[in-house]
Amino acid sequence: MNARSFYLDLMERREALYHYLDQIDERKAPDPEAAITDLAADYAKIFLAAGISQGSAAFPFESVYTSPDRIIMQDAWETVRKRYESVGLIRNGEASGLFEDHIALELEFMAFLCEESRRDPDCSDWLIKQREFLRDHLLNWVPAFTADVKRYADTAFYKGIANITEGFLRFDREILEGINAPLDEGIENQKEVGETAFSLTTANMDQILQELKKEYRIFAPKRYEKRGAKSSTDLIRYGEIHSVREIVHEIQSDFSPKEIYYPITQTMIRFQENQSIEEPASDSRGVLIFARPCDINGIRRLDNIFLENGGHGDIYYERLRDKVRFVMMECGGGWDDCFCVSMETNKTEDYSLAVRFDQENLIVFVKDQAFEPYFSEEKSKEFMDENRKVAPENADFMPQFVTTNKKKVRLPKIQNHQQLKEVSDLEFWKEFDEQCIGCGGCSAVCGTCSCFDTVDIIYDETSSDGERRRVWSSCMLDTYTMTAGGSRFRKTPGANMRFKALHKVYDYNLRFGGDEHMCVGCGRCDKRCPKEISFFDIICRLSEELESTACNTTATEVPGNSIAAVDEPAIRADISEGLGAENPNRKVER
Amino acid sequence: MKNIMMPEPHEILSVLKETQAEYTFRVACDAETQHGQFFMLSIPKIGEAPISVSGKGPGYVEFTIRKVGRLTEGVFGLKTGDTLFMRGPYGNAFPVEQFENKNLVFITGGTGLAPVRTLINHFYDRPEICKSVHLISGFKDVDAVLFTDDIRRFKEKFHMTATLDNTTAPGFETGLVTEHIKKIPFASFDDFNVVVVGPPVMMHFAARELIANRVDESKIWVSFERKMSCAVGKCGHCKINETYVCLEGPVFNYVKAKELLD
Ligand SMILES: Cc1cc2nc3c(=O)[nH]c(=O)nc-3n(C[C@H](O)[C@H](O)[C@H](O)COP(=O)(O)OP(=O)(O)OC[C@H]3O[C@@H](n4cnc5c(N)ncnc54)[C@H](O)[C@@H]3O)c2cc1C
Ligand code: SF4
Ligand code: SF4
Ligand code: FES
Repeated sequence: MNARSFYLDLMERREALYHYLDQIDERKAPDPEAAITDLAADYAKIFLAAGISQGSAAFPFESVYTSPDRIIMQDAWETVRKRYESVGLIRNGEASGLFEDHIALELEFMAFLCEESRRDPDCSDWLIKQREFLRDHLLNWVPAFTADVKRYADTAFYKGIANITEGFLRFDREILEGINAPLDEGIENQKEVGETAFSLTTANMDQILQELKKEYRIFAPKRYEKRGAKSSTDLIRYGEIHSVREIVHEIQSDFSPKEIYYPITQTMIRFQENQSIEEPASDSRGVLIFARPCDINGIRRLDNIFLENGGHGDIYYERLRDKVRFVMMECGGGWDDCFCVSMETNKTEDYSLAVRFDQENLIVFVKDQAFEPYFSEEKSKEFMDENRKVAPENADFMPQFVTTNKKKVRLPKIQNHQQLKEVSDLEFWKEFDEQCIGCGGCSAVCGTCSCFDTVDIIYDETSSDGERRRVWSSCMLDTYTMTAGGSRFRKTPGANMRFKALHKVYDYNLRFGGDEHMCVGCGRCDKRCPKEISFFDIICRLSEELESTACNTTATEVPGNSIAAVDEPAIRADISEGLGAENPNRKVER
Repeated sequence: MKNIMMPEPHEILSVLKETQAEYTFRVACDAETQHGQFFMLSIPKIGEAPISVSGKGPGYVEFTIRKVGRLTEGVFGLKTGDTLFMRGPYGNAFPVEQFENKNLVFITGGTGLAPVRTLINHFYDRPEICKSVHLISGFKDVDAVLFTDDIRRFKEKFHMTATLDNTTAPGFETGLVTEHIKKIPFASFDDFNVVVVGPPVMMHFAARELIANRVDESKIWVSFERKMSCAVGKCGHCKINETYVCLEGPVFNYVKAKELLD
């Protein structure tokens, strides 16, 4: 909403009050005196709790709305008094019955600041003061207060006054933002129109999440106790969440968010008699994912494979992907294993909301206007419960990105096919024949590994119905290139590792162009590997070898020549073994 | 949006037993196909597999399938009138125009004759668009010989050598295809192409032998078989370096093919 729409909104609110006043106009109303009595009674009820059994009312003091026990003369009263004093104001005798944080005095203080802004040729200071006071005080509690007034009021008069007060404050804020924008350089100016930040409590955010859930399924890293690689450890993995408390944000998730938009197993087609039927999408709601910049960048790699490669899109991926919106979790500075800065995946613009976790509070930056209503006072009134103490408010917050990691890597620069051959022939790949057990765990946790197998399922032996699914696969599995009769085109874990490494930091880039590599440097594969193989070290090694003379000599015959693959039977392993440890659908497949 | 993974049911029009382990299935299909392309055939509840088009005509395509595993075994259980699920055609094709008005050599091993059969027939039907056709087709033994009728026809019009690995039979020579390459009068051709299709080892040694016979690498064409789970560039199985065999292949010029490091 812009200032104009706030203005129109205010005018609408004013109309309602006019309508009431028109009705009690003494020239038209049968008994104007009675109207006055009604108003007096309503006043006592709303503000003094007269006649309300639980003694609850809209007490017009900021302290009441911002202190845990809802009592007067708390912190807010202190800070407001200091604000007044900072511009040389003290309460005079006439207002002796009122504390400084009474709504009348706070509004009067705003009027004073307006007057000073008008008088002082260099008004910028006064404008900033207005804005700060509005943000830190009036808007911090008045919306909750006016909501109470409307709740307790019987007359259209007080409901109308409450409406106008609240509408005017928000209109005023929009005007001030408009005037102030050119004054503040830097951060403020980076915001585009419609980009706003809000600071709110987890309780309030939970209420927003509840509301969002009508339109979105919400996913975030969650803790699964004692489900980790070792049975004593917890597994952090993406799952649907219902409250902020479920979000694990202080450590990296073991799995990437990939499984949300590219499920581990996914039914594609159902077969009934002689018909093939496309599996419909399961949920029409959008998908909102709390993710870090590297993982948000990861989805673009999957987009390239599933939407671009071959010039045609994959419908199952596309229909889920279209629904995905990101809540970017600001990354606190990286973990031991990540190297996003080297992979240039530390920053992203692809998000709708950004969030910073700040102890009990959250600061949310709204980038996508579609999400703004959830944070607006008006809309939030519809779903936030009546006891909320802090409404979402304006806060200055621009999400920050990690700019340095503990680990840094130089990417291998393979100049031509000759060098590629040399790299492929390096002795060091053979080390993995011993080390790597081909479990595929590294691919399972990776946000950019996209390979799958298709499997057909029968519901039971006698049924003529069944389905075709796709299931995550991995080029690290020894069955990955296996064709009928057991022959394989890559026969050793070392060859698989070479294939994977080159795909991640060379082939993909060569195919799709640009600066982007498939690996986003999240470091999850290193953490996951049961044999402590570090993919990071492999990239470093590759770069070193390329820079050393090893890769600058002329290669002779390449033994790995692709049309020379020789048949060699192998034991067929269960493809889902390495990948499906946490696969909930696994039993069904058997 | 089209669902690229969705197979459609097609009726089997006829089944012809070529050998004990290889049958040719004629399937009702109106799709336009080019020489060298393949389809993903499937049977619900069993799975999918890539199979080359081995013949085509108005309203049908043919597949010559070798029984080696689950899906192929399933297909062997089907008979005329039954339903086969298919999607395709996929992959690139042999550059037919580039082959016209030149000499053409085919070297095939076993079932490798299937993917080039429509191409051979293309020149059989229009002998005037080709200077000469030489064909060397190798089979394990006489029981493994495919397309017996075609071989008889081809022998009439083309320079055809049908050979068995190490046994003898009337009408067949003996020895691997590589042993017969030197019989081809490359020196007498002014321009030519060689198509080599068969098991990976056979293609490898045939290409070596051709190069030893001073055939330029750029004249050699091969068709690759790789594990495929999607045929549309998504599953990753067929990828070699930055190349996807299901998209840029299965047909490759040898200059490219020799660069592909599995
Ligand atoms: C482009 C291309 C064209 C082909 N043309 C023919 C043909 O015309 N005739 C013929 O008999 N065979 C052909 N094949 C080989 C054929 O695809 C395999 O024999 C078939 O997949 C075996 O499947 P299966 O289920 O019977 O075997 P299984 O051993 O049970 O195989 C299980 C799965 O592995 C995969 N697979 C196994 N072998 C291969 C393979 N060689 N190539 C690709 N995927 C494989 C398939 O996804 C298959 O469903 C071709 C392969 C390719 C890549
Ligand atoms: S390869 Fe490893 S570091 Fe790179 S994106 Fe995948 S899991 Fe992360
Ligand atoms: S996780 Fe480690 S052992 Fe398992 S496939 Fe990957 S590199 Fe090999
Ligand atoms: S067969 Fe799936 S990518 Fe080529």
